[in-house]
Amino acid sequence: MKKTLPLVLVFVMVLSLLAGCGKSSITSGTSKTEQANASDNSSESTSSGEQELVDGRFTKTRKITVEVYDRGNEGGSKPEDNFYTDFIKEGVLRDHNIEVEFIPVPRWTEVDHLNNMLAAGEAPDICVTYSYPTIQAYANMGGVIDLAPYLEEYKPLLTNLWELLTDENIYYDQDPVTGTIWALEARLVRTQRINTFVREDWLKKLNMAEPTTLEEFENMLFAFKNNAKLLLGDDADKMIPFSISFDIGWRANNLLVSFVPDNVTDKELFIYGFDDRQIEWPGVKEGVRKLNEWYNAGLIWKDFALYKEGDTTEDNLIKAGYVGSFMHNWDYPYRDGENGIHGTLQRMIGPEAAFIAIDPFQNNAGKHKKVTSSTVDRKVFFPSTNKEPVASLLYLDWISKFENRKFLQIGEEGVTHEVLADGTIKLLSATGEKIMNSPNNLDYTITINGLELGDPSLTARSLALGYPGVDARYIERALYVGANDGFTPKKFNVGEIKAEEGMGQVLKEKRDVLLTKAVTCAPEEFDAVWERYFNDYLDAGGRAIQEERKLKFEQFYE
Amino acid sequence: MKPSTAKPLPARAHKSLSYIRRYWTLYLLLVLPIAYFIIFKYIPMTYIQIAFKKYSIVQSPWEMPWADNHGFEYFIKAFSNRDFRLALRNTLMLNFLDLLVGFPAPIILALILNELPYPKFKRLTQTVAYMPHFLSWIIISGMALQLLAPTSGLINIVLNRLGFKTIPFLNDPAHWVWTYVFLGVWQSCGWNTIVYLAAITAINPELYEAAEIDGAGRFRKIWHVTLPGLRPTIITLLILSLGRILGSEFDRPYALSNNLVKDVSSVISTYVYAHGIKGLQFSLTTAVGIFQSVVNVIFLFAANALAKKFGERGIW
Repeated sequence: MKKTLPLVLVFVMVLSLLAGCGKSSITSGTSKTEQANASDNSSESTSSGEQELVDGRFTKTRKITVEVYDRGNEGGSKPEDNFYTDFIKEGVLRDHNIEVEFIPVPRWTEVDHLNNMLAAGEAPDICVTYSYPTIQAYANMGGVIDLAPYLEEYKPLLTNLWELLTDENIYYDQDPVTGTIWALEARLVRTQRINTFVREDWLKKLNMAEPTTLEEFENMLFAFKNNAKLLLGDDADKMIPFSISFDIGWRANNLLVSFVPDNVTDKELFIYGFDDRQIEWPGVKEGVRKLNEWYNAGLIWKDFALYKEGDTTEDNLIKAGYVGSFMHNWDYPYRDGENGIHGTLQRMIGPEAAFIAIDPFQNNAGKHKKVTSSTVDRKVFFPSTNKEPVASLLYLDWISKFENRKFLQIGEEGVTHEVLADGTIKLLSATGEKIMNSPNNLDYTITINGLELGDPSLTARSLALGYPGVDARYIERALYVGANDGFTPKKFNVGEIKAEEGMGQVLKEKRDVLLTKAVTCAPEEFDAVWERYFNDYLDAGGRAIQEERKLKFEQFYE
Repeated sequence: MKPSTAKPLPARAHKSLSYIRRYWTLYLLLVLPIAYFIIFKYIPMTYIQIAFKKYSIVQSPWEMPWADNHGFEYFIKAFSNRDFRLALRNTLMLNFLDLLVGFPAPIILALILNELPYPKFKRLTQTVAYMPHFLSWIIISGMALQLLAPTSGLINIVLNRLGFKTIPFLNDPAHWVWTYVFLGVWQSCGWNTIVYLAAITAINPELYEAAEIDGAGRFRKIWHVTLPGLRPTIITLLILSLGRILGSEFDRPYALSNNLVKDVSSVISTYVYAHGIKGLQFSLTTAVGIFQSVVNVIFLFAANALAKKFGERGIW
């Protein structure tokens, strides 16, 4: 007996282990179905929740989790636990009796993280992403709550949210047939997208005026190249007249779009509108040909194609002063204070060194047409695991309330901003506890992106002062040029385009390959290369998307 | 204990049972690893069915509806996709080149190291050679950019100064393939050498003495003693490598790739990443994964059978 006992014990141990894991897999399965059921029965739970709401405040404390981007910035604070999250947590608990917990998600791999969290049933109750197709894909799998019935029922409680987003943003993604709303579109305050920047001090050194046409711009690039010795001295061989990255569609967008004929119709822009770099638009090919000419003339940074997303090599070249011009986000050189491009140039090269925004590219009608953003920004959605959709909406309402978002955007007087004599708000760069991890704390104000102080002129003046260490005239210029003749392709609400499902990343890669190959090939091969890789883009799904868009457009708008 | 009145067990079964009784503690030690395999390797296999079902992020795999075409929708979709066929071709090409260049490299290095006379120098060389194994591919790709980029890379700067033309190591598909293969050799050669060096130490020194008496020189000794002594190790490792012919690591092609070489650098693992993880097409990519595993198993069995046919022991 003594000898059989251990055997029995071993047997029991193995069995219990097996049973244990078997059970866990079963329970995880049922918990998921329960969650799905919970979302199905959400209408019931809301009616019971209604009774617990008194003046927008829950009688019993509710708990929600909220996604927050983790940018991992140097010297920053913990995104889920800092001065500003405390402000939000205290406020939401006080006003609505809702406990808030922030879930940090890395900014640059957010979709991957969301996938994992959703699949594990652990996604935050309030999720934020820039990618609507991702939300649509989740929704198709039954992973997202339809907001339409909640918005309808609780509209009176959501006045702040409505005031900020307006019907336009709230119903932006509503399906025209089913009426579902999978996500709310946050408000984008400034619609400037991309600007062209040149070294102001180089122009002065070469006695050149700011270029006002493509031809003058090209001449300027040649002038930079030919005067490298004068401009860079011993570093002349490092001269880069024009710099781009692998993301040519963004980094040369204003140039490319200036080749689009002026009489292009809204319908065409819609049909060819899948790619947010406008690669499919008519005329863009000729713009890329121009870049190919520049590349082969040695005007463009030779190694650009080797560096990937997030690599700082190009930025470092710009900061080191080797780069004459580039296109980027409308305020790109002025961001990041001392460590940004402007700050570094001033420190390393001298107070005269600076990039200034110019507007040289005109279309065939002589207009400086450039794509500006629509007023939508991030998309906020509730995964189906969210058991507190009403509390979550109230959170969004709280965060949209003018006083609250204003405090988050400008922080404490004397620490993160000062008020000038005329009422203008001047932002200061704070360090330590009250540092903002994102400009104007945009990661916390998930329903609005961009400083907004109530009064447009006050906002504009304040914004120009919002870049510590940067002369306001650069910002004013960038703001003006970035919006000059800007246009946003018209929004047509045709519901889901089936062919787009899951294609975003694949086509994005194809687009980048196409552009990189077309810019770097020999000029005589340009047409063949374009043909080959553009067809590859179309075959991989681009054509199906265009066809479905055309069909849907004609179904709803013709 | 009363003497058993039941029929005595057949001799062999009785023997093994008493064996188990005697060494039960050893079997007890086995419980944890077995549990590990069951929990982390076999239970997750139930998710293989995703390949045959329409994936939903909120349902358990048992509840998901079956895919079209008797569940084979995603296999058909993969094989009719040009990107997948391209990735398949590239995977085979890169792995085959890796095998061709990367497999003999550690054997040669082991033979050379074995011939080094000074033990201290030998040990130092060995350490230096296997260090790169501990670098991640992200770091190696960063180093590769610093060294091999066309205009800012150190090697091309030196070449240009000496009057040679720039070599497009990273931005021309044909050059990239060889850069990829040789970086792989550089990273893993020293590490893989360890196994061969261990095998060499097991060779009976008398064989060398005998060869010496017969008048064999250094190369003769390598050819007639060391290499035959290494043969079982080489065969085993070759079989294992062949079992990975369609498998693909992700870090290496992903980190070294760029838009100019996508035509050759896109492999199955990067395809799975772009389509599956980023594009949320988990069913499609699970199907691809199953295909990959099945082919690998076939190769493994074939290589093993072949080895046995040629009189080697194989791996089982």
